[in-house]
Formats: sequence, structure tokens, C-alpha cells
Amino acid sequence: MEEKQKGMWPLVEKYYQDYGSRARELKKDGKKFMGYICSFVPVEIIQAAGFIPFRIRGNVHEPITKGNTQLETIACPFMRSCFDLSFKGHYDFCEGVIIPHACDSMTRSYSVWKYSLGLPYSHFVNVPHTVNAASLEFFEAELNTFRKSLGRYAGKEISAAEITQAITAYNQLRKKVKALYELRKTNPPLVSGTEMAKLLTVTAGLPVEEANVLCDQALDELPQRTAPSGQKLPRILIDGACIDNIDLVQLVEESGASVVADDLCLGMRDHWPNTDVDQDPLKALSRRYLEKLNCPRTFRQSLGGSLPDDLQARFGDMGTHIKEFRVDGVILYVYKYCDPFGFEVSARKAYLSSLGVPVLYLEDEYSSGTLGRLRTRIQAFLEMMG
Amino acid sequence: MSVYAAGIDIGSAFSKGVIFKNKQTLGFCIIPSGGDYKATAEKIKKELLSKTGLSSPEPIFTVATGLGAKMVGFADVIRTEFSCHAKGIITIFPSVRTVVDIGDSYSRAFRIDEHGHLLKFLLSGKCAGGSAQILKKIAKILQVKVEELGPLSLRSQKQVDFNTNCAVFAESEAVSRIAEGASKEDLLAGIHRALAAQINNLAERVGIEKDYALVGGGAKDEGLVKAVELMNGFNLMVPPEPLLTAALGAAILAEEVAPA
Repeated sequence: MEEKQKGMWPLVEKYYQDYGSRARELKKDGKKFMGYICSFVPVEIIQAAGFIPFRIRGNVHEPITKGNTQLETIACPFMRSCFDLSFKGHYDFCEGVIIPHACDSMTRSYSVWKYSLGLPYSHFVNVPHTVNAASLEFFEAELNTFRKSLGRYAGKEISAAEITQAITAYNQLRKKVKALYELRKTNPPLVSGTEMAKLLTVTAGLPVEEANVLCDQALDELPQRTAPSGQKLPRILIDGACIDNIDLVQLVEESGASVVADDLCLGMRDHWPNTDVDQDPLKALSRRYLEKLNCPRTFRQSLGGSLPDDLQARFGDMGTHIKEFRVDGVILYVYKYCDPFGFEVSARKAYLSSLGVPVLYLEDEYSSGTLGRLRTRIQAFLEMMG
Repeated sequence: MSVYAAGIDIGSAFSKGVIFKNKQTLGFCIIPSGGDYKATAEKIKKELLSKTGLSSPEPIFTVATGLGAKMVGFADVIRTEFSCHAKGIITIFPSVRTVVDIGDSYSRAFRIDEHGHLLKFLLSGKCAGGSAQILKKIAKILQVKVEELGPLSLRSQKQVDFNTNCAVFAESEAVSRIAEGASKEDLLAGIHRALAAQINNLAERVGIEKDYALVGGGAKDEGLVKAVELMNGFNLMVPPEPLLTAALGAAILAEEVAPA
């Protein structure tokens, strides 16, 4: 445990505990921040416009208070927590907020974000829900609208070269994160799921250059750890939406398991798909965000074939990760009122059981108050896996 | 030489203890959990000791379980409620494969194999819906003892329709039915049917395999047991003291894992 206190980890801890503290420091130096929520906002365009993209995060330890005056409790609790913190001024270093057409909770709350926060800039990125030639063409045009809108606000024209430069920086970050995931393939893993969750939560609120440096440091430090000789614990993959607090991962690991992989927004979902650099940058971005980013908010039409074919097409990437990371069991973790995941629960379970992987389905609020209840289920699941 | 083994189950309403040696129950006790689980655990230990005539320096190996397991200061090992229930029920009824524990704050259904190994489990929702909580509330409204609910319900001639699954809203629905003139007996039969439907739903989702047992405080209510039987057509097995299953399982596990 002492090892964790060395090197870059105290900084990660500091940024995790006081999310946004680095942004506040940089703002004093004249840096400009643009807030966004969800994986469907093309951060490369924000970066190219000369802003630092800042991923708005919720906090399971802070009760939603002021936010509930503007949003009813049927709205996604994760999104409400993000809004609540923004509305209370936690992220007031951001000049604007960008919301994507991801799920209904985000789409329908855009006007609440826009008018309640009253920030100088706000934009809604219209992401289509299907993947085909027409939707890709539409999305590319929509990204161009976003580029022009943000350019007007920034008082500059965002060039293709600037977007390509940003694409390269984010591709580099994703490559480094993938290399860090490699360290989880050993048994026991060299880096815990809790540490990775903390690191990846933190990097989403940092300038990409600093995120890259932090990942480089982790890549230098972690392989030097002596391979833990301890007991080999069950290897768990967590499947779900955006988990931007370490509590669930920590709970699973405290219960006697190693979280080695995930299908989560701040984890593999975000960091696996890269943007191609050999084509027009907006076209490449439209393909990355619509075609490659695999989230249930995007409807992937079944092009004939059987149910197993359909499941393979939709969740095959998770199946590959299960094999590569030698996953013993999956925890499917879904927020209450999350429509995109809620509709897919049975399909995800069916796919996982076709692989012979045990799955525990947890529906949860976005609150630390429910951890005790989850503990019972997680312990029983691990016990059942033996 | 075998040691004395104890199983302590700290639940949200009641805390239970069993003391065990050479595969024999030497004594047990059931007390309300109250607001200080640490003190409750100590009290159980004292009672168990007094029942067996042991003096406290006697080595006792303890397995704790339940919501408050962590508060049992003298526990040697902590195990989940599932493994303790499974161990307890398979010892009492070796033929049981499906179990529903109707607890005070939630209910849990699980399936086990012939060795008592957990195969599948499910807990009722995140609220008290589907738990025995509603029975306590209704008893309070009707001003009867919880023990009287079953016999009253079984005397019903015409059960009332009862639609609410929420333990809190159920209270207002019960009051509405009383205002409409429903008798205690018919009201209770309606509530038992509504609760039985929730319990059956849990059991069907883990897949019912014979034999099927009910345990926990709710299983002491014969009106509820009857309602669950009517719902799914199975004959239910209920241990003589349904509250003790997990504590007994914990005690058996304690004897198994205690260092020789």
C-alpha cells in the first residue's frame, strides 16, 4: 500500500478529491475552459478552438439539492448530480457548457442547463441515433455547425490543421490509457481498478497535455511495482454508463475481487476507439463518435441474421475484452431511469450468458447511501462464483 | 477436540444467536436488534453462555452474519446472509432447492444445490416493498399483535383487492379500505395476497425448483405462507423457528471452519 503513496499518486488523489482544482489554477493563468457532459461531445473541436475541455463530473457523496429545483427526479440521477454541482457554482471556471444529444435526460435538460447556468456560451451537439451513410453525413455537417459556432464565440476560424492536432493529442492519450490497461492483464493485476478509476476520472478534467504527462508517469512507475504475490482474486468487468466516482469499483475490490476491465464511459468505451488521421478531420470525428463509440444511446440496426449475430454485432467488443482480460464475472451497473441501458439489460445479460460469464445486474441511484445495499449483492455474487 | 461454535445474525428487526457443538444446537436466543448492534451482539453472547452454563473464557468460535455483522466485535469470521441461510436450510431440510427469506427490510430469494451451494439469488428492490415491513405497519393500524395477523387472515371470507406494492403507500390504501368498511380479516387476506405476489415474483425470477421453503420473520405468518402457496401451488416448507435459519447456518459454518 505504501507504494501507492509514491510518485504521481498524491497528485491524482488531490485532483480527485478536489475535482476542478487544477482548472481553477490554470484559469488564473489566463487559460479558458469549456465544460461538457458525456462521451459524445467531440472534445477535439473544443481543444482546437483554444479551450480546455473540462468534463463535468457528479459526486455521489454530495446530496442533490439546488439541482432538484430545476429537474424532476425522473431525470437521470448522474446527470442531475452533474447539473446540481454546476448550478451550485462548482465549475464556474467554465465559460460555457456543451451538451450532446446522447440520451433523453441530456437532450431534454439542455434548456435547463442553458438558462439556469446563464453561461456566455452553450451549444447542443445533435448526434443522430442510427449509424448509416445518411446519419454519418448529417453528423459531419452538425460537427461543422459546432465548429463554426464555437469559432464565432472564440473569435477565430477553427482550421482543419488545428482539429487534426487535437485529434493527435487525444489519440495519444487513448493509446497511453490502453497501455495502462495492459498492466491489468497480469494476475493479480499490477494496478487496481480503484486506482485506474481515480486516474481516468482525474484526466477528464485536465488539459490533454497534462493528462498525457500523468499517464506517462503512471506508465513509468507502475511496471516497477513488484508483481503482487497475493491471492488470485476473481477478475471482474464492470459494464455500465458513466461511473465518475471510485466508490463502486472500490466496493467490488474490498469485497475480494479485482476489477480488471470495464465497458464504461470513462474507461474502455472512451479510450478504445481512436480517430483516423488519414482523412478529413470532421469526417473522421463523425465516424469515431457515431460509428466506433459503442454506447446504447446509439441504435445499431440489426441487419438480418439471428439473435446471436445481433448480440455479437452490438456487444462483441465487450466479449473480446472479456477474453483478453480473462474476466471471470461481469457486474452490469445501471442507474435508475437510465433508458438507454435499461432497455438493453436483457440483451446484455443474454449476450454474457451466451459466453458463459456470470453476470450480476445492479440498478442503483447515484448516491453513496446505497453502497451497503450493493455490498450484500456483490459479496453474494463473488461467493456464488466461488 | 471440537470447540464451541456460535452463529450470530444481526438483522434489521431481530438479532439471533445459536450455540453449537458436535453438530448439536445447545441453545439459541432471539432479541430485538435495537439501535446499538454492538451491545446487542454482546447481549446475545451472554444469553447463549448462560443457556449452556459456559463461562466466558471458554473458547468459542463465532461466525457473524446479517446487516450488522461487522458490529459483532467478537466475531472470528463474517459470512454473507446467503451462505448462512443456505447452510441452515440445507441442514434442516436437505431436499430444499429454493428459498425465500422474508425479512424486515427486504426479502431475498435464492436457489441452492444439494450441497447448499448458492446458484442464483435476487433481493427485493431498494425499498421495503416485498418485505415483512408492511405486516408490522398493518398490525399497528389494526391494533393487533403481529402474531395474530395469520389466524385473522385465514378466517377471511372475501379478501379485499389490494394494489399497492409500496410499504409506505400500503398504509394509506389500508386506511381507505377500512373506511370502505372492509373487515380486519378480509383486509389482511388482501394484503397477504399482494405481498405473496411480490414474493412469488422474486422466486420465479430465480426459478422455482422443489422443494421450496420460506424463512425469516414473514414465514411465521401462516396467513402469508398460505397466500404464497395459493399463488404458486407448491407446498411450502417452513422451519420450526424460521427466524433462526441464518444464525443456525452461521453456527454450523463456525464449527466447520473453526481451527481444531
